Amino acid sequence: MRIYEDLRDVQSRLAVLQALVVGLVALLVIQFWNLQVIRARHFRDLAENNRSRLVTLAAPRGALLDREGHVLVGNRPSFNVVLVPEHAVDLDRVVARLAWTLGMGEAAIRERLVRRQPYRPLVVKTDATLADVAALEARRLELPEVSVEVVPLRSYPLASAAAHALGRVGEITERQLELAEYKELAAGSLVGQAGVESQYNRELMGRDGFRRVIVNSRGLEVSEAERQAPVDGPSLTLSIDASLQAAVEKAFEGRAGSAVALDPRTGEVLAMTSTPAYDPNEFTTGIDASAWASLARDPQTPLMNRVIQGTYSPGSTFKVIAATAALEEGVITPATTFFCPGYLAVYNTVFHCANARGHGVMDLRRAIANSCNVYFFQVGIRLEIARLAKWAKLMGLGVPTGIDLPAEASGLMPSPEWKMRVFKTPWYAGETVSVAIGQGQVNATPLQMARVAAVIANGGRLVHPHLARTAGGAGWAPVPLGIRPETIAAVKEGMRAVVAEGTGWPARLSTVEVCGKTGSAQVVAKSRLEKSPNAFEMQPHGWFLAFAPADDPRIALAVLVEHGRSGTGSAAPVARQILAHFFGLDRPTPPGPSGTADTEAED
Amino acid sequence: MAGGIDRRLVYNVDWVLVGATFVLALVGVAMVYSATHSGRNPDLYLKQLALVGVGTLGLVMAATIDYRRLADRAMLLYTLSAVSLVYVLRFGPLKAGTRRWIEVGGFQLQPSELVKIAAAVIVAKIFSEYRQETLGLGDVALPGAAIGLLAVLIAREPDLGTAACLVPLFLAVAFLAGLRMRAVAGLAAVILLLAAFTWPFLKDYQKTRIYTFLDPSLDPRGAGYQKIQSQIAVGSGGFVGRGFLEGSQAQLGYLPARHTDFIFSVLAEEAGFVGVVVVLSLYLFVLWRMLETARLARDRLGAFLVAGITASFAFQVVYNVAMVAGLVPVKGLPLPLMSYGGSSVLSSLVGIGLVLSVRMRRFAN
Repeated sequence: MRIYEDLRDVQSRLAVLQALVVGLVALLVIQFWNLQVIRARHFRDLAENNRSRLVTLAAPRGALLDREGHVLVGNRPSFNVVLVPEHAVDLDRVVARLAWTLGMGEAAIRERLVRRQPYRPLVVKTDATLADVAALEARRLELPEVSVEVVPLRSYPLASAAAHALGRVGEITERQLELAEYKELAAGSLVGQAGVESQYNRELMGRDGFRRVIVNSRGLEVSEAERQAPVDGPSLTLSIDASLQAAVEKAFEGRAGSAVALDPRTGEVLAMTSTPAYDPNEFTTGIDASAWASLARDPQTPLMNRVIQGTYSPGSTFKVIAATAALEEGVITPATTFFCPGYLAVYNTVFHCANARGHGVMDLRRAIANSCNVYFFQVGIRLEIARLAKWAKLMGLGVPTGIDLPAEASGLMPSPEWKMRVFKTPWYAGETVSVAIGQGQVNATPLQMARVAAVIANGGRLVHPHLARTAGGAGWAPVPLGIRPETIAAVKEGMRAVVAEGTGWPARLSTVEVCGKTGSAQVVAKSRLEKSPNAFEMQPHGWFLAFAPADDPRIALAVLVEHGRSGTGSAAPVARQILAHFFGLDRPTPPGPSGTADTEAED
Repeated sequence: MAGGIDRRLVYNVDWVLVGATFVLALVGVAMVYSATHSGRNPDLYLKQLALVGVGTLGLVMAATIDYRRLADRAMLLYTLSAVSLVYVLRFGPLKAGTRRWIEVGGFQLQPSELVKIAAAVIVAKIFSEYRQETLGLGDVALPGAAIGLLAVLIAREPDLGTAACLVPLFLAVAFLAGLRMRAVAGLAAVILLLAAFTWPFLKDYQKTRIYTFLDPSLDPRGAGYQKIQSQIAVGSGGFVGRGFLEGSQAQLGYLPARHTDFIFSVLAEEAGFVGVVVVLSLYLFVLWRMLETARLARDRLGAFLVAGITASFAFQVVYNVAMVAGLVPVKGLPLPLMSYGGSSVLSSLVGIGLVLSVRMRRFAN
């Protein structure tokens, strides 16, 4: 006999449990629909971030070549230590171990961690040594989230030679990151920070490639998913002549100053130096703060490119401009003479000639050759400031030359309008007398003065100085200034006499006729110099402008030796060394003066 | 006449439930293979297959035993359970800060897994002896205290997940036995109060788990890591999945505990929403079929026994899958039938064996 219990109550309650189970499973299905269908793309991206690591294949920057194809700036292979913090289970431990292995501070690594982008590898150390790489390889399994990449590193075989023209590279700054020009770049990218490297940064950079590799949860590479080869930056040929550049550097050994050599026919820069200089190699891996501070605070300003950023009183080299202006305006002819008694008393002031005994009767040629101030005082009085300023500006003073380098200074050519605008006072006629011999408010960069020399050398055309031979081009053609050939001939004749028989005699070459003009730029008032005549930093700067050969000039030059006392004594010998190399005549200075010039007397 | 294998009994075996059970177990073996084939123990799936074999023996034995004879020995079962749990706490080997195992002839056994079965027998036995229509709180105090003691012992190991399984087990049977709804609410309040008082005694890692469940980004590398990585695996599986052995989260090792507690993440990543729905349907089918068995049981004892086993099984499935989907805090709770682990597989299959036993004997005397 069967005994059945009454289970109806239990059965109805079981239905409640069945409904509960169905309801819970339905809730789960809804959540899976949400995760796997609605938000699938989001999670697919996260999974992709998890498993793939982007390895940058750095594009080598384009090399900089000289006009003959010699390498001025190239690349060498180097090792970067990189870390993907997302793969680190215990980041503190990894950082501590890494700092210990590489012998660097933990703080330095943490600082870099703060400014990184997620899932991008962080460069912990650039240009790691072979010892670093070996130490890391030995700890490969302990530090799987760390890897070593081979990257091309900028290298400057010339070291400090032409450093200011070529420039340097460095990590992109926070400020640069905000500029439109750099908007595709990530923090930590290397970009040009000065000189040609900065000016042509975009062209030189090329395009980085990448490898997308699959890594496991411990950060070890399992396979490669994708690869895009880097596009090398194209090389850039510069107009610099490496051999001439070396001669310029040699001529400047132990001196502070600058020199720039142009091809007067085209405006191409053949050589450019500014001393003291620095070694751009120190910047390629990130210069340390103390080294940077000592460069930036050095009173000798090694970071400044004196050729385009140093503005100096042009002194007597300005007489080239004054002579051209006077001839063109018809104020004088080449035959016009003035008597020099050693001074000129005018406008209630006594203006002195460098030769206190006086030069006697001077025509234009002899006035330029001997750098007679009195002659040019008279020229200035007759020209007046407006016409003098007009011609100085035509010949490139007071405006940047437009050379393909960043941060060029414009210099200053004063005029009555300028003085009224800045000082709210009228122009005094006496100031014109000073300006006519390159004193007073007028100042110019060595590049601007080299350009003035080129105007006379090429028959009256204003060149656009430039370094790149393969870029730009259009708009760089020399601009005719409309100067009469007779004017050019007369000024050139004076400059020929400067070297042949005047103040520029140390620049004379045996077989090539050199034209030039000396100058000295006062640093302090004459009265202060007289009080301490031997203080180095109070000595005038020495100038020399030159071009050669006289009949068919192929080189125009401006040399400035800081505190060189006189152009004759300091700048002209440097110019001679440079010109001698250019013409293949590297020989000692010729014996003493044979002309009428007084070696001490110039200005 | 009771016990022994009767032809009529074999005829009444629920072959559909058996079939669904073994499909799930084999899907589990495949997922264990996927999760471990490239790791240090590539043969783990074979071990899991062997464990399913052992579990099948347990299932057959459980089905063969007359559940009524088993219930008669409830007192003995309870004593054995309590003793084994105390033994584990005193002498079990310490692993990752927990004492959950005992060594039996080279094998490791988790007594808590089998205690769940014993608890179902005990609870069913006690409630089946009540004869009144409805039960008040006072009626459930004795069985509650008995089960509570086991739960506390398991929680001390500590193994909160398994301890928690006893709660739905107890509640489900008490509800079927006629516990009034008001009493159910009261009981819930008591449990909540208990939880509040337990909070100060939770270990730090347990608290951290709850905090990071509420905000996983607090600790993306620590306790929140598991939830984040599991959600990524599930979500990236998409509608059709990334393919068997093709899930990057599972294959590259981003998923933690992927062959044990997070086995369902591997399935979700590699088989996608389609696979999830198929497997959840199988589980739902198994649960539905078990509750059907309770409905068909010839006596209250059978119905309660099946309901207790089903409640604990359902809780584990729902909690584990909800954990994989990031809905509840991460707890060490395996997915019945699929997760790697001998005790869990054995316990699940023995439980289903008892369910079969009840169904087989619904017409028997």
